[in-house]
Amino acid sequence: MTTVLAAIDDSNAADTVLATAAALARLTGARVKALHVREDGVERARAVTEAAELSLVEVAGDVVEQIATAAADPDVQVVVVGARRHPEGARPAGHVAFALLRRVRTPLVVVPPDTESPATLERVLVPLDGTMRTARRAHAVIDLAATAGLDVIVFHCFDVDRLPMFTDQPQHETRAFEHEFLARYAPDTPARLELRVGTPADEVLAAAQALDVDLVAIAWAQILEPGRARIVRELLARSRVPLLLLPVDHEDSDSL
Amino acid sequence: MLTFPAAVRRRFEAIVFDWDGTAVPDRHADTTDLRRVLEQLCTHGMHVAIVSGTHLGNVDGQLGARPAGPGTLLLALNRGSEVYVVDRDGPHLLDGRVATTAEDHALDTAAVAARHAFAARGLRTELVSTRLNRRKIDLIPEPDWHDPPKADIDRLLDAVTARLHAAGIEGLREAVAIAQASAREAGLADARVTSDAKHVEIGLTDKSDSARWLLGFLQREGVAPGTVLIGGDEFGPLGGVPGSDSLMLVAEAARATVVSVGKEPAGGLDPVVLLGGGPPRFGALLLDQLERRRRGALPEADEDPAWTIAFDGDAERERAVHALLTLADGRLGTRGPSLVSSATAPPAVYAAGLYDGEGPETTLLACPVWHQAPHPSTSEATLRQVLDLRTFVVHETSNDAATIHRAVRLSSVTRPGAVALRAECARGAGSACPPLLAPTDGRAAEEGSTDGTAWMRIAASEGGVTAAASQRVYPAHRDVEVLERLGVYAADPVQLPAPDAARGRLVDLEQAGFEHLFHEHRRTWAARWEDAYLGIEGDPELERSARFALGHVLACAPDDGEAAVGARGLTGPAYRGHVFWDADVFVLPVLAATRPAAARAILEYRVRRLDAARAAAGAEGHAGARFPWESARTGRDVTPQSASDRTGRVVPIRTGALEVHVVGCVAWAAAHYVDWTGDRDFAAGAGARLLAETARYWASRARRTPDGRAHLYGVIGPDEYHEPVDDNAFTNVLARWNLRRAAALDTDAITATERDEWRRVADALVDGYDPATGRYEQFAGFDGLEPLMIADVSPRRPIAADLLLGPERVRAAQVVKQADVLMLHHLLPGEVAAGSLTQNLDYYEPRTAHGSSLSPGVHAALLARAGRLDAARELLGLTARIDLDDLTDTTAGGLHLAAMASVWHALAFGFLGIRPHADHIELDPRVPSDWSALELRFRHHGRRITIRAEPERLIASADGPVSIVIGGQRYRVDTSGLRLMLRGSGHWRPTAQLNEEAV
Repeated sequence: MTTVLAAIDDSNAADTVLATAAALARLTGARVKALHVREDGVERARAVTEAAELSLVEVAGDVVEQIATAAADPDVQVVVVGARRHPEGARPAGHVAFALLRRVRTPLVVVPPDTESPATLERVLVPLDGTMRTARRAHAVIDLAATAGLDVIVFHCFDVDRLPMFTDQPQHETRAFEHEFLARYAPDTPARLELRVGTPADEVLAAAQALDVDLVAIAWAQILEPGRARIVRELLARSRVPLLLLPVDHEDSDSL
Repeated sequence: MLTFPAAVRRRFEAIVFDWDGTAVPDRHADTTDLRRVLEQLCTHGMHVAIVSGTHLGNVDGQLGARPAGPGTLLLALNRGSEVYVVDRDGPHLLDGRVATTAEDHALDTAAVAARHAFAARGLRTELVSTRLNRRKIDLIPEPDWHDPPKADIDRLLDAVTARLHAAGIEGLREAVAIAQASAREAGLADARVTSDAKHVEIGLTDKSDSARWLLGFLQREGVAPGTVLIGGDEFGPLGGVPGSDSLMLVAEAARATVVSVGKEPAGGLDPVVLLGGGPPRFGALLLDQLERRRRGALPEADEDPAWTIAFDGDAERERAVHALLTLADGRLGTRGPSLVSSATAPPAVYAAGLYDGEGPETTLLACPVWHQAPHPSTSEATLRQVLDLRTFVVHETSNDAATIHRAVRLSSVTRPGAVALRAECARGAGSACPPLLAPTDGRAAEEGSTDGTAWMRIAASEGGVTAAASQRVYPAHRDVEVLERLGVYAADPVQLPAPDAARGRLVDLEQAGFEHLFHEHRRTWAARWEDAYLGIEGDPELERSARFALGHVLACAPDDGEAAVGARGLTGPAYRGHVFWDADVFVLPVLAATRPAAARAILEYRVRRLDAARAAAGAEGHAGARFPWESARTGRDVTPQSASDRTGRVVPIRTGALEVHVVGCVAWAAAHYVDWTGDRDFAAGAGARLLAETARYWASRARRTPDGRAHLYGVIGPDEYHEPVDDNAFTNVLARWNLRRAAALDTDAITATERDEWRRVADALVDGYDPATGRYEQFAGFDGLEPLMIADVSPRRPIAADLLLGPERVRAAQVVKQADVLMLHHLLPGEVAAGSLTQNLDYYEPRTAHGSSLSPGVHAALLARAGRLDAARELLGLTARIDLDDLTDTTAGGLHLAAMASVWHALAFGFLGIRPHADHIELDPRVPSDWSALELRFRHHGRRITIRAEPERLIASADGPVSIVIGGQRYRVDTSGLRLMLRGSGHWRPTAQLNEEAV
């Protein structure tokens, strides 16, 4: 049986992390494994785990190291961590999430502290940049979500630097574009497509809110050097719904 | 049987070969077997041509073949001076070179002089004067060498050389040089001097003339040079003189495969494949070709990069490739490969004018699929597809370990609606797939089978389509069998055709067979290219892209009936097959100049919807005919009322209500067609009705203001960023032209009162022209909008400015989607103020985003007219790649047919400056310095005209007398041609004064 690894700390964020992990586990039929790396307290972690009728694995040591080690277990399908302890304002992810982002090759769900974790996932937004590489990575998620009956919304935003040349007759052109985009990047799924024009991170965040999605799933190259992964950085800082980050190979990753 | 080198282990479409020494050892040899093989090769569709220096009696008398076709047997005899075609009734002279009296005299003089020169050296020769167009000087008139067989060529050469040496002549090369000098002195500037070792011949023609003629014939048959096999026995030098068969290696044969069965004592000649073995080996080669055809060998593509486009497996682009490789015959469009099938890229077939649904949802009906081969692979990664632009035949090869290896398919342009497929399959797989499959849209299909023929029919909301197909499977060799499938479609927009409607035609197809269909299909395509040749020397990639674009335009309409040419033709489902102004002002001009009957079919589509257009005008409270922005089956408007754009917003679509310039575009198309063709019946009948009814519409729609001016309020021009606008210059000037042209019609159907009124309205229509600036205001108030250059807001063009800036900003700014005012200069250069192109180009082009795929091609044409050739080339190159590079990410939905047509517009109207008129063609060529030549062929009033423009030279020719006006000078041009040079003054002047007449 596969595992959803919920890495919880001793803050209020532990509730939403565990709830998100449970929702994901229901989706995939996996079990939830709650992991806590002892730092400055354990009561909250124990309480939320007990409330969820789960056992808590407590370990000592470096937090990132311990979570990464646990995530390397082949049974672990996805790792769920909190973005940061405190909800106030738009801020970068905390140091633990930030370190795990680059290190863990397993899909990682980063849960904002102020998210309203649903009991079940009903709608997922999958931003695609229009490359086969990200589409291939996202396809498994789209497929899984669609199979589980979720409403899957594929999302594509035309950055101002990548606007189409022509619009011709929009009453036909948009439909033709949508049809081909889905056929290329989300084939054999019942996903629908939402298009936007603008700054991709802004538009993803706006769409996530407007479309009332429960999860945003995005492929990325795990490169966080300056100038890279701008969308992921922005989403980590500002998203109010959990982010599922799907690592892809590093080649040709300019857009990520 | 001995195996052959890889170069010849394939099917050829034609064989051209030498007679003596290659096909027969001597002129007395028995040819029974050879005759039988050649006749059967013709029966199997191969073209066979024999090249010989001797005369008909010798060759036909010895061979005696009487083939039934469809392959042609040609005899190119008398050393390039005669060509005969041989059929069941015997040989018939097709072409012959007849020497003038002066030439005959010069030949005699040259021969006598050469003999004197030889005699002066002490060499006795004899003269043979009975040969057509040549004189033979026998260098060794000895009884022992009276008629030496080719097998003795070595000994003959030694004997002749010894004889020449005895006379102080170095060898054959010097003997030939002596004869050449004699010919020049006799006044034969282009004499052909050859030697077969025994003779030196002075003639007017040689085998190179035969080869050129034959390759020209094969080109007209649609046979590509790379599929031609040339055979001989003397390619290498003989005594220092080029081998006689080397003369067949003309430039036109550069892609042919060449084999020698001769001894080639001095070795071969690159790229000749040396087979050796003499006539027996050559006979085996012919038998091998016959055996391949008997086994159903597939035709192979000549992958000449100038005439083919190849695609290797590309999962991301597969649907776009399907569109690019669509095979259309004007009535039917087939897309998707035969060897591969996937749910995300299903094969599809569409029938022209066959729609399903109502109103804006009206869409092309998906028809039964005929071309899926059995057990197709599901991955296109292993597939190579080659589109032969000469013939629009698709060749597929799969390197998958699947059961199918290769396939060839076509949609017959000779018999529109008929299709054919031949595929190589693993033994046992061929019959595993039904010949017809239902389309993947889930629509119910009725099907059945009778006497081995499968049929399937699908009902549309009105009418429907019935397809019938049959297939046969036969063994090719040990592990491979051949699947051959023929199909016919009967589409009727009124009544669902009965199965017999298709089955009956299928019987004819089956009787003809695949080879015959292939044969006639490529010949028809060759005829199309004969009228529409396009060459851009110096830019091979642009040339190929332009041919690709032109080929698809040539394929989009039939030669009769009506042609509903949708925005994407029959190449995909996008735009639902709806017909826009694209058909009238982009596609039609190309066809009017190259396939007039197809252009007439496009007009017929409008003519048959005139009543619907009248009703639409009436519903708006106007007179005349109001053609719809989007049209389908009924001719009623099918434009959607709203749609989501790429910002995710639902936006109202107002083009259906307001983009009325389409009315004038239909009238323009009718007039333009008449200018190209001189079709009097149409001009006086349906054409006049189109012009009159559209004029009535404009007259009733125009509103007069107290100042006496007339206005067209609330319209959308070609620049759809601004809506609605008043007095759009394009719409108003087009309407004005429409009114005046209709008023000038010579018909009783228009009253004098109407004519007067139309002229008054035309004179009163506001056109926004300001003589002070030389500029037209695009619409009332345009000049007051925010000035905005695209370069200030975007680093690149084309750019969808509505998405970049938002619809509100573009509406309030001087941002133009596509040529609007400039479209007037493109379509109606005679209707705008003289010399106003430059001012308007300077003003509007920087403000134009080219946010429509129709824009860059038109601007390329106008920039060329303005002499801005670099900018013109850049936009032309971009236009030619819109679909090949899928610049819109929507090519999968079908090809941008109008943009493809605009490539031709840019070349013809732009770079060559062609304008058709009632009694002449106007030319004003401007060719970039790094193009060595731009060549176009087209028809004007039935005459085929070829224009070859080089940067500083122009050659025009026609197959009959035509008038061409260049720089104000009228020239009468015919087959003898017209040659002009560009002088320093910028004017074209004749290099040889040919039939010039003053204007």
